[in-house]
Amino acid sequence: MQSWRRKSLWLALSVSCLLLILLGIPLLLRLAVPLRPLPGPPQVWPRWLDAELLQSFSQPRELPEDALPPFPAPYSSSCNWGACFDTSQCRSGGLKVFVYPAAGPISETHRQILASIEGSRYHTLSPGEACLLLFLSLDSPAGKPSLVPPQWNGGKNHLVLSLHPAPCPKTFQLGQAMVAEASPMVDTFRPGFDVALPPLPEAHPSRGGALGQLQQHSPHPGESLLALAEERGGWRVAGTNSPACPWDGRCEQDLGSEQTHPRATLPNATFCLIPGRRSDALRFLQALQAGCIPVLLSPHWELPFSEVIDWTKAAIIADERLPLQVLAALQEMPPARVLALRQQTQFLWDAYFSSVEKMVHTTLEIIQDRIFGASAHSSVMWNSPPGALLALPTFSTRPQDFPFYHQQQGSRPVGRFSALIWVGAPGQPPLKLIQAVAGSQHCAQILVLWSSERPPPPRGKWPETAIPLTVIEGHRKVSDRFFPHSVISTDAILSLDAQSSLSTNEVDFAFVVWQSFPERMVGFLTWSHFWDEAQGGWGFTVEKANEFSMVLTTAAFYHRYYHTLFTYVLPQALRTLADEAPSCVDVLMNFLVAVVTKLPPIKVPYGQQHQARPPLVSGGPGQEQPPDRDCINLMVAGFGHMPLVSSRLRLDPVLFKDPVSALRKKYRSLEKA
Amino acid sequence: MCASVKYNIRGPALIPRMKTKHRIYYITLFSIVLLGLIATGMFQFWPHSIESSSDWSVEKRSVRDVPVVTLPAESPIPERGDLSCRMHTCFDVYRCGFNPKNKIKVYIYSLKKYVDNFGVPVSNTISREYNELLTAISDSDYYTDDINRACLFVPSIDVLNQNTLRIKETAQALAQLSRWDRGTNHLLFNMLPGSPPDYNTALDVPRDRALLAGGGFSTWTYRQGYDVSIPVYSPLSAEVDLPEKGPGPRRFFLLSSQMALHPEYREDLEALQAKHGDSMLVLDKCTNLSEGVLSIRKRCHKHQVFDYPQVLQEATFCVVLRGARLGQAVLSDVLQAGCVPVIIADSYILPFSEVLDWKRASVVVPEEKMSDMYSILQSLPQRQIEEMQRQARWFWEAYFQSIKAIALATLQIINDRIYPYAAISYEEWNDPPLVKWSSVSNPLFLPLIPPQSQGFTAIVLTYDRVESLFRVITEVSKVPSLSKLLVVWNNQNKNPPEDSLWPKIRVPLKVVRTAENKLSNRFFPYNEIETEAVLAIDDDIIMLTSDELQFGYEVWREFPDRLVGYPGRLHLWDHEMNKWKYESEWTNEVSMVLTGAAFYHKYFNYLYTYKMPGDIKNWVDAHMNCEDIAMNFLVANVTGKAVIKVTPRKKFKCPECTAIDGLSLDQTHMVERSECINKFASVFGTMPLKVVEHRADPVLYKDDFPEKLKSFPNIGSL
Repeated sequence: MQSWRRKSLWLALSVSCLLLILLGIPLLLRLAVPLRPLPGPPQVWPRWLDAELLQSFSQPRELPEDALPPFPAPYSSSCNWGACFDTSQCRSGGLKVFVYPAAGPISETHRQILASIEGSRYHTLSPGEACLLLFLSLDSPAGKPSLVPPQWNGGKNHLVLSLHPAPCPKTFQLGQAMVAEASPMVDTFRPGFDVALPPLPEAHPSRGGALGQLQQHSPHPGESLLALAEERGGWRVAGTNSPACPWDGRCEQDLGSEQTHPRATLPNATFCLIPGRRSDALRFLQALQAGCIPVLLSPHWELPFSEVIDWTKAAIIADERLPLQVLAALQEMPPARVLALRQQTQFLWDAYFSSVEKMVHTTLEIIQDRIFGASAHSSVMWNSPPGALLALPTFSTRPQDFPFYHQQQGSRPVGRFSALIWVGAPGQPPLKLIQAVAGSQHCAQILVLWSSERPPPPRGKWPETAIPLTVIEGHRKVSDRFFPHSVISTDAILSLDAQSSLSTNEVDFAFVVWQSFPERMVGFLTWSHFWDEAQGGWGFTVEKANEFSMVLTTAAFYHRYYHTLFTYVLPQALRTLADEAPSCVDVLMNFLVAVVTKLPPIKVPYGQQHQARPPLVSGGPGQEQPPDRDCINLMVAGFGHMPLVSSRLRLDPVLFKDPVSALRKKYRSLEKA
Repeated sequence: MCASVKYNIRGPALIPRMKTKHRIYYITLFSIVLLGLIATGMFQFWPHSIESSSDWSVEKRSVRDVPVVTLPAESPIPERGDLSCRMHTCFDVYRCGFNPKNKIKVYIYSLKKYVDNFGVPVSNTISREYNELLTAISDSDYYTDDINRACLFVPSIDVLNQNTLRIKETAQALAQLSRWDRGTNHLLFNMLPGSPPDYNTALDVPRDRALLAGGGFSTWTYRQGYDVSIPVYSPLSAEVDLPEKGPGPRRFFLLSSQMALHPEYREDLEALQAKHGDSMLVLDKCTNLSEGVLSIRKRCHKHQVFDYPQVLQEATFCVVLRGARLGQAVLSDVLQAGCVPVIIADSYILPFSEVLDWKRASVVVPEEKMSDMYSILQSLPQRQIEEMQRQARWFWEAYFQSIKAIALATLQIINDRIYPYAAISYEEWNDPPLVKWSSVSNPLFLPLIPPQSQGFTAIVLTYDRVESLFRVITEVSKVPSLSKLLVVWNNQNKNPPEDSLWPKIRVPLKVVRTAENKLSNRFFPYNEIETEAVLAIDDDIIMLTSDELQFGYEVWREFPDRLVGYPGRLHLWDHEMNKWKYESEWTNEVSMVLTGAAFYHKYFNYLYTYKMPGDIKNWVDAHMNCEDIAMNFLVANVTGKAVIKVTPRKKFKCPECTAIDGLSLDQTHMVERSECINKFASVFGTMPLKVVEHRADPVLYKDDFPEKLKSFPNIGSL
């Protein structure tokens, strides 16, 4: 009994001890780790009882009755656009640029820059009418003082263009001048006043320039994730399976899967890691060209043309202090973003960086945009194809008015077309053609561009049409066909020649097709180009072939914006060339559209009944021969590259020549033999 | 109740049985229970005192009861702001390293009242707006109450208006914050900087490395990429409800409503008014109003009285001139009224200019060009003005409307700098909802014709029709650009034929076995697909010639962002039934192609598998139908483009199987397909399909030309 009692006592004691310990431990734990957040509502900003009674930060009387403003005292030490640029010198014509002639021998780069300004529409020879004076400080080696230019005026309205990546040889006081410098340091760069240029690669083409290297939209499955810019100038491709081992060579020993390509000048990877040093700015451009998405680690230099280019769409600017997070972010990046970034690198390279001319023109466009203010390029124009150099804000500032932004704006081209009929010598009113065109339900107006020696026939001689018909007297120059006549009221133009022969069905169908492709030319008759090994030059053929790259403008639909581009963007020399060899004008127009779209034109079916007639060539009789091959080769020289793209397809009506009752078919007459 | 009753019943029965030797046992047991109870009581008591602090803060209390902190006169003052600060030099990004989901965490210091040695307060404890601002942050996803996990610190010291505080003492108060550390990662909000007579454009309080969200920066004080330029909040926004007014011409072309203008500016404006007459209105404060009328809500021109801000809705353009400060609250009023601000303040950094495209909503005129202002504005086309009016109102709604909007936009900007790979895009910041809704951003926007050498991968979906499958494989393998053939074996009950039985072809052939017989297996982004171009083909499509397939691939190269297929279909609006109808007859139009034979970019496989909206994917798998219609919807929706139908119509029929066409003629099948279209249109919220009247043929198709010279002669033959 005793032992039993003792036993039970011991048992009770130990049980109570156990209970105490069990209860005590969590309590002690709680007291020992006071910082662990307690479950329950987090501490939030209190809801004050008297919140309604709190006073406003600005008393009603205070704001309007501020002390009167002192007049702004311009800071002499620093400049901004409003204070240091006099826009009143820029008359309505926009930007006019005067370049100081070089003293002494000049380098190749200098010559290229001079040439691209002199060949541009901004150039003027008189410093008096210029609103921007350009001073090239390219060749003056540091230390050797260069002379202060004659119209210096404290640097007002001057742009000092300096491509030395080394410390700029500021041999004279810059005063109020703007500086366009390759990869300027962020600390000294004045946003909205200076212009950040890209570093100029060696042996960069003057104009045109090679397209980017991207062959496909999405990365190839076998492509490496990351390439690293190496000190020696090459790119090192890092394997995708070494995430723990980033780029700075800290753990070089276990990078088993990496291959080193010391001579690879352009990287072949999805992302290109570029350190933030200024000397690496050139690597940035290489990555851009290669379609490798640049990942910049805390760059100390301003990205090129950062004022207008939205670099977040083409590059990743990350903090060098969080390398692992960056790497993780790259690996987890959604495919949609990778696709978009990749494509943007290529667009930006082609639009602004692939030649010296593009870089110089971009610089001038940026300054012109500042002058234009509200009428400048919109951000969409700068940051989506074909880029701001090919989208003139003088045409319109609304993206919807251009042929190439309809997709992203969710808009459509305006519903109807204007027929523009060019009548050269000998000038008979093309009655049949007018009737065929006027029969189209989509036709808004008919314009006759009378370029014949003889005066146009009187009003009564023209056919009666339900559609307004206007006769414009031309200047008997072939390039006049592509002048942006203000009477053209629709987006679409049907360009015709007095000799053209078309049926209403053909016109209707071609216009409906054009509405799906408003940025391209839609034509009936085609030519194609080819590389002629024997002659060592480009040639082209008007023969029927399995592919084509040009459509004849004697019967073609295109957007009226191309008239503006043709007249204001093409170099004068090329237009003169077209005037002298009128049949060359077709080639020129096709080149222009191909430069913008980078795509082939579109061919629609052309009824057999017309084909007995001689081939249609611009310029009327005596010009029926196709242009000689010089034309195409001169164009290639003028553009700096061959922009034409070949196509192997024709767009036909859905039931074209199908074995089905003709009554079912909408475009019946297209099939008549 | 029940339990206690039972206990009472059991209790008396237990006690009489108790003996003395057991008594000690029961006493011990009782004491243990008692001990346990005491312990539990203590347990209950202790944590209660720990949690009480949070309970106490949730509890409503008055601003007047906040703790008072006395600042000794000699306590340290921070350095003046460092103008060279950038995110990568002055910001400690390591603190943000462990914030999940690419979102910074913001800590708010608790509210204190600061007084100097003599008990005189340093500033107003807190203003209504700053309280709103801190409440907004506290309610947002950014907020954390854990100071150790915070990446950004917001002091509760109110510096919105520099005139309401004592500069040196406020700086001392900042310096004694527990994590101040030279102001690293601290964010101050200030809307009214500077003080008479020279009015600095940034807050004068020394703040060392702290970030400043300031309301009146000039190019000289703004640290690009470090500070954030914010609007000056207009308290009128909360008071006055101005309903949105549609864009279009208004009574006045140009209006100036500011009361305190420098006399020289006012002269300039009045000169302009004299020149342009009634289309321009220059308002001033009212001098002849009787007492009691809120003068802040009235403006006068000569003796005419106008209600403010309602009068702003009467004007197309409204002048926002610099005052003593560059940032003006009137900008907010003007935007609210949908009036396009004409900003005349040289060197002013516009609010949120790091992300907002002010060119779309305002006109900036240099001060020296003020006299040309009217003609500059007149040169703008009407349609552009209307878009600016819409944009102005949208900016106000999104970023100016409330203190909360301002606070969250500021934090988003800082967040985007720290996590640039997750940043919000230009379009998300700037496009009004209507544009966002109607615009399409094509994932394959770059005009690019992929090289022919790349070739395509054919994916054959099959169940058990081996004979037909082998015929398809043999036919497809004749296409020159084929680079790989992938057979998706969708039958789990039967093994694919032995290797030796498969046709011998010149390209790699791979068989993928699936886990479940689902139609969506056809569109899975298999790792085996190495080319961009994919040819989806059914195991019964044996009627397509090699020329037709090769031509289809060539067409895809010219339209790599579209579905390029052979049999075309159309959707039509049925006016009687008031819904969509599926059409497979001989029509002049197409809006879909069947994926029984179609080329497309492999990216669309990824989209189909992972990004298909709503429950469409499961729905298709459950109904075993309409996967092709779903693909057509998906591609059209994401690219905004129509399909391309290739080559003439063929009878899609094979001798031993029910082919697509055979099925399509079936009435119930047609009804089901129509149902699919209606179902998908409602899930997408729109009808994305585009109708076109063209198809693609080879250039010389059916032309009078020797057949043997044509690239694709064998096309269209039945």
